[in-house]
Amino acid sequence: MIGFLEIRRRKLQFALVGLIVTLISYLVLMINGLGVGLNEKAGRALLNFNADAIAYSDRAGLSVIRSELSAETVARITAESGAREAAPLGYMAVNYRREDGKVKSAAVLGYDPGTIGEPPVESGRPLTPADANGLLADREFLKASGLKVGDTVRLAVRLEEREFTIVGELNEGSFFFQPAVYILRSTWQEMKYGSANPSAPAASIVLLKGDGLAGKRGQGWEAVSKRTAFANIEGVAGQQSTVQALQVFGYLIGGLVIGVFFYVLTLQKTPQIGVLKAVGATTGFIFRQLLIQALLVALGGLVIAVPLAWLTNRALQQAPDAVPIAFTTQTFVVTSALLLVMAIVGVLFSGRQVAKVDPIIALGQQQ
Amino acid sequence: MSIRLKVQDLEKVYGEGERAVHAVRGVSFATEPGEFVAIVGPSGSGKTTMLAMIGGLLTPTRGSIEVNGQDIARLKGKELAEYRRRKVGFVFQANNLLPYLTARENLLVMARINGTDLKSAGARADQLLEELGLTARRNALATELSGGERQRVAIARALMNDPELVLVDEPTASLDSARGRQVVESLIAEVKGRDKLGLLVTHDMAMAELADRVLEMHDGLLVGQTVGARG
Repeated sequence: MIGFLEIRRRKLQFALVGLIVTLISYLVLMINGLGVGLNEKAGRALLNFNADAIAYSDRAGLSVIRSELSAETVARITAESGAREAAPLGYMAVNYRREDGKVKSAAVLGYDPGTIGEPPVESGRPLTPADANGLLADREFLKASGLKVGDTVRLAVRLEEREFTIVGELNEGSFFFQPAVYILRSTWQEMKYGSANPSAPAASIVLLKGDGLAGKRGQGWEAVSKRTAFANIEGVAGQQSTVQALQVFGYLIGGLVIGVFFYVLTLQKTPQIGVLKAVGATTGFIFRQLLIQALLVALGGLVIAVPLAWLTNRALQQAPDAVPIAFTTQTFVVTSALLLVMAIVGVLFSGRQVAKVDPIIALGQQQ
Repeated sequence: MSIRLKVQDLEKVYGEGERAVHAVRGVSFATEPGEFVAIVGPSGSGKTTMLAMIGGLLTPTRGSIEVNGQDIARLKGKELAEYRRRKVGFVFQANNLLPYLTARENLLVMARINGTDLKSAGARADQLLEELGLTARRNALATELSGGERQRVAIARALMNDPELVLVDEPTASLDSARGRQVVESLIAEVKGRDKLGLLVTHDMAMAELADRVLEMHDGLLVGQTVGARG
């Protein structure tokens, strides 16, 4: 009752504290959104592969860029791994020119139609073995390039350039921080190694489906789980530790600031706490009032910060070079819960101050 | 049942050794049921310290304070808070109302602290405010009340939980003499009308003489007793 009435009657004071909580919550949410977004940019397409494990060349150090598998090795992986299904996949980075003239990069994945390497098409149609110059473009590629299904696009690798027709749209996400496009593996092989090269590698990696495949290895290959493959994407480990450090500091500093604000608020109320104690209020009773206030203010801050972060994300996604921020329900729930815990921790420190207040100060106080 | 207070050899010493300050030195007195007692003396005579010890705000260094046979000098922590909550009503020098609450809400806080049913507490608060002539001001914030009104709300708050002992510390310090007299008279009427024990600390002899008995303190000692206007 007292805690709630004080908020109602001291609107400005509590609005200012609420503003601080809102801004900190917003900041922490954006940092967490950035963490999720960067992860998605790093390799959502890899995590979306219809596979339980991924096989690499054992000389590649789990790098898709450096991994090259011969047709014999692909066959050995299929036979020896014990996978229920297997599909070779080729990767290369290409350039394309945007309408505004800027050169941008894209990740090209070469697959065989009808295998587990085939991505689900959202609109348009899938590739057939006859689509040597057909291309499936991820939504992010279409957004970044300004193209649509039915348009043509010229992809360049080394000195070669080839025109493709976009026949379908995907929502599989980025690959190696680049928007992804999917072509036939035979086309990929031609573009990357040339048509007159019988000893050219047949794939970069092999997608495997089945149980207990991670950790398996054979002559010239090794298989790991998708999670391990993701963590081994160039730059992901460094990026993840940076984002995690930002998140930890965000929670710590955010929590500290919120805690300090509630502590200062409690210090300011020392005379009133003295009076309440003098008239018989227990420390627990006073502490409960402070806790109610902290929870109301923190909830108020979150009620504003969460939609604000969501709206910011939507606004940022409109730009062609979108900031890599993404929110999941988990981001909102976990961040909100942790910030509420931080507010409670802040009040717990204030609780010690409440316990220390001597009711004798009620005598001789001048208002 | 009327309350009986018996103070015996009460002492309060602040600090130790050469720096020790003897605020109250071996004070003893007892009250009669329904009595209103004033304690007078110059600043530093120990009267507020004694009031604080009787109210359970300070622990005596020596001696006993028996309230209906229970020595409250031995109480600690939650027991002491319960004693203050159930048996004592305080009227402070600066009234100490919660500034962001209305007159009525300041009274209801006492019911909250005491865990009393809010419906019956509301009726009691309205009754007390009416008795003290504050019905029209019941929904005014404490900061919107005049000094005299604030002190009358403080008296109502002190009586809210129906305490047996009403302790009053310089209630007229911030009021002119006419308003001060009005406040003390309201206070005495409320305390005596409810058969409670009232202890009033003041340095104003004109106010003290409105009590049944006047205890005079000097340098921490009880140096005299006189019968007041009501005695």
